[in-house]
Amino acid sequence: MPEASQSAASGNKPFFSLAKPFGPEDEAGLRESLKRCSPSTFEAAVQYRKTGNPEHVPAVVIGVIERFVEPDLRMKLKDADDDLRLIEDLGVDSLTMMEIVILVEDVLQLTINNEELRNLRTVGDVKTFIDCKIRGLPLPKPTKFVPIERICAVMPIQPPFLFLNEASVSSTGANGKYRITGQEVFLQGHFKDNPVMPASIMLEAIGQLAVLFLLEGAPTEPGMVISPSTIFFAGCEGVRAHRVCRPGDLLTLSVKTKRMKMPLATFEGSIRVGQEKAVIAEEITLTFGYAAAAAAPAGEPGGLPHDPAAPAAPPLRVAING
Amino acid sequence: MARVFITGLGFVTSIGNDAAAVARNLRDLRHGIELYPPFQKPECPCKVAGTIKEFRTDSPDPEDWSWPERYTIKREHIRSMAPNGLFAHCAFLQAVADARLEEKDVSNDDSGLYAASGGSPFLTHHHHERLLKVGVARCSPMGIVSSIVGTLNFNLVAAFRIRGASCGFSSACASSAHALGYAFDDISLGRQKRMFVVGAEDGNYDAIMPFAAMRTLSLQSDPALASRPFDTGRDGFVGTGGGTVLVLESEDEVARRGARPYCELAGWGQASDGYNVAISHPEGSGLRLATERALRSAGVAPGGVDYVNAHATSTPIGDISEARMLRAVFRDAGARPAISSTKALTGHGLSLAGAMETGFCALAFREAFLPGSAHITHLDPECDGLNIIRATVEGRPDVIVKNSSGFGGANVSLVLKKA
Repeated sequence: MPEASQSAASGNKPFFSLAKPFGPEDEAGLRESLKRCSPSTFEAAVQYRKTGNPEHVPAVVIGVIERFVEPDLRMKLKDADDDLRLIEDLGVDSLTMMEIVILVEDVLQLTINNEELRNLRTVGDVKTFIDCKIRGLPLPKPTKFVPIERICAVMPIQPPFLFLNEASVSSTGANGKYRITGQEVFLQGHFKDNPVMPASIMLEAIGQLAVLFLLEGAPTEPGMVISPSTIFFAGCEGVRAHRVCRPGDLLTLSVKTKRMKMPLATFEGSIRVGQEKAVIAEEITLTFGYAAAAAAPAGEPGGLPHDPAAPAAPPLRVAING
Repeated sequence: MARVFITGLGFVTSIGNDAAAVARNLRDLRHGIELYPPFQKPECPCKVAGTIKEFRTDSPDPEDWSWPERYTIKREHIRSMAPNGLFAHCAFLQAVADARLEEKDVSNDDSGLYAASGGSPFLTHHHHERLLKVGVARCSPMGIVSSIVGTLNFNLVAAFRIRGASCGFSSACASSAHALGYAFDDISLGRQKRMFVVGAEDGNYDAIMPFAAMRTLSLQSDPALASRPFDTGRDGFVGTGGGTVLVLESEDEVARRGARPYCELAGWGQASDGYNVAISHPEGSGLRLATERALRSAGVAPGGVDYVNAHATSTPIGDISEARMLRAVFRDAGARPAISSTKALTGHGLSLAGAMETGFCALAFREAFLPGSAHITHLDPECDGLNIIRATVEGRPDVIVKNSSGFGGANVSLVLKKA
């Protein structure tokens, strides 16, 4: 798994063993622990404890989170995507997070360290985290929120051609948001008296999110840093537009890595407005290169491969020809 | 110095869970003491308690509790409470409604909250036992804030977004009277415009039974005889829990809001016995000095006092100390105020007592009656010359003195005046 950070991997061993069979006493204990969770949560927990099959784990984790969320916010979990944020969307504070963890530990019989918790921001983070624990895989790098100030500081693309308001980046992809304001200059002519976001610009926005991923989240070889001035558009496949987007629409952008090997990184990308599909790109590929070795900041042990505080500002350039 | 008025009350007590029920039971001298199921074991010498009705808090998990449907409490708030926090939260909601306060009157820079409870021995025990059994990693993150002394203020200040002064008081059974005294000071010195004063106790096995080790609990199993302050047959106090919240406001706030006060909190005094860790001074020296200071602070002569709501808990030693100091302050000055202990009806609320009984006094002003001292058949001869009223007296008082004493010989006296 190339996307795993080495430091988090150490000491994370598979823990599941069938040494002790799951008996009626365990089931009673589990029922008591999960008494305020849905019946399907309990069922999934029983199945997991009996078989050790990690496929049951997401249902248990979602069920436990649901139990600690105020009733009026629980609906959000019903058709939740993995980007649902624990604090902002579900009102989960750090104490509630502890409560969730203690119950998950109890039910799935695992131990979670405090420092492993700090970076779990979304429901997807929690699911991935628990899944890695269960399977004994190295833990992924945490999702990192990237505010607009930071986006502007690291991106080679700048306003008025920047189509990201905020983003979050993990080791496997990135999510972003952009609100169409109606002030975008090209909307004056696209179209006459009928402002519609151009599909080519939507693809540009997906590409910009992929650029941000390469600069802020992509796992690289130790000590190597991707240079902003080396990233360019290479190609795309299977692009389809499903929905007309107009001023006022909030675009939710997503890219996930499909392949990454110097000098090419291929993503699948999508844009949604609420629950509606707007644009899908089955593949979008960028080229990239590393900064000169001398310019690379020394990697801190266990730290990010790319030091975000590096003072050398990247040269500003239009990176995507498109 | 700004004058200070009591403008709102909330009660969860053994004699009623709202002001109307409490006033009715005080007037009719109906007690709230019952055989308490957790005490009905051979190893428990004590059998009765002033029980809280309509609430179930016997599980250490707050999500198992039940309370009257008229109160909506979020999980976010209930999860960090002890039983006394739940009682106080409900009393707080009552007091806010009673005083007709809007949200902005509760949450602002000039409104504070002082609270008193003995913490929650029940939850301390539960969480500590878990700590020893399963290790700290599997313990509730709410263990501390739900159980230590201060749990009341932590929870209420957060739940009601209090932004003014806040702290907890710990002088045992004088705690919430101290809270009232310092809240009075904050308003009269202009530091705050409004103070919420809260007393609450769990009133369960873990809160009450340890007092049996001091031999201070009544061993009577007849609920109607167990708490009888000033009676020769008294053999100790009856424990109780619950919560009381009082809203104190400056005269400017009362005028601005057009609030209708129950009465004025006109002054207070405190003094210590410097005598024994748990036994009151035989002559009630500290309480006597506290009462004298309170009267001076309020500008009231002993002869101007109509009623004393005594601390008297129904212990053999404590009631005599108080009777002696009352004789010294009042009888020796030629004054004969009516005296009663409402603990005969409620039991002894420990940290809650001062606030709860000050709330009773506020009701006495509003409803124009003085509650009698119930359950006396043979008045202790030490009370000779004191006007201990055994039946309720109708009529509106002008001035009431409220006494409270706690372990270590801490004593507080509060003076209330007709508004």
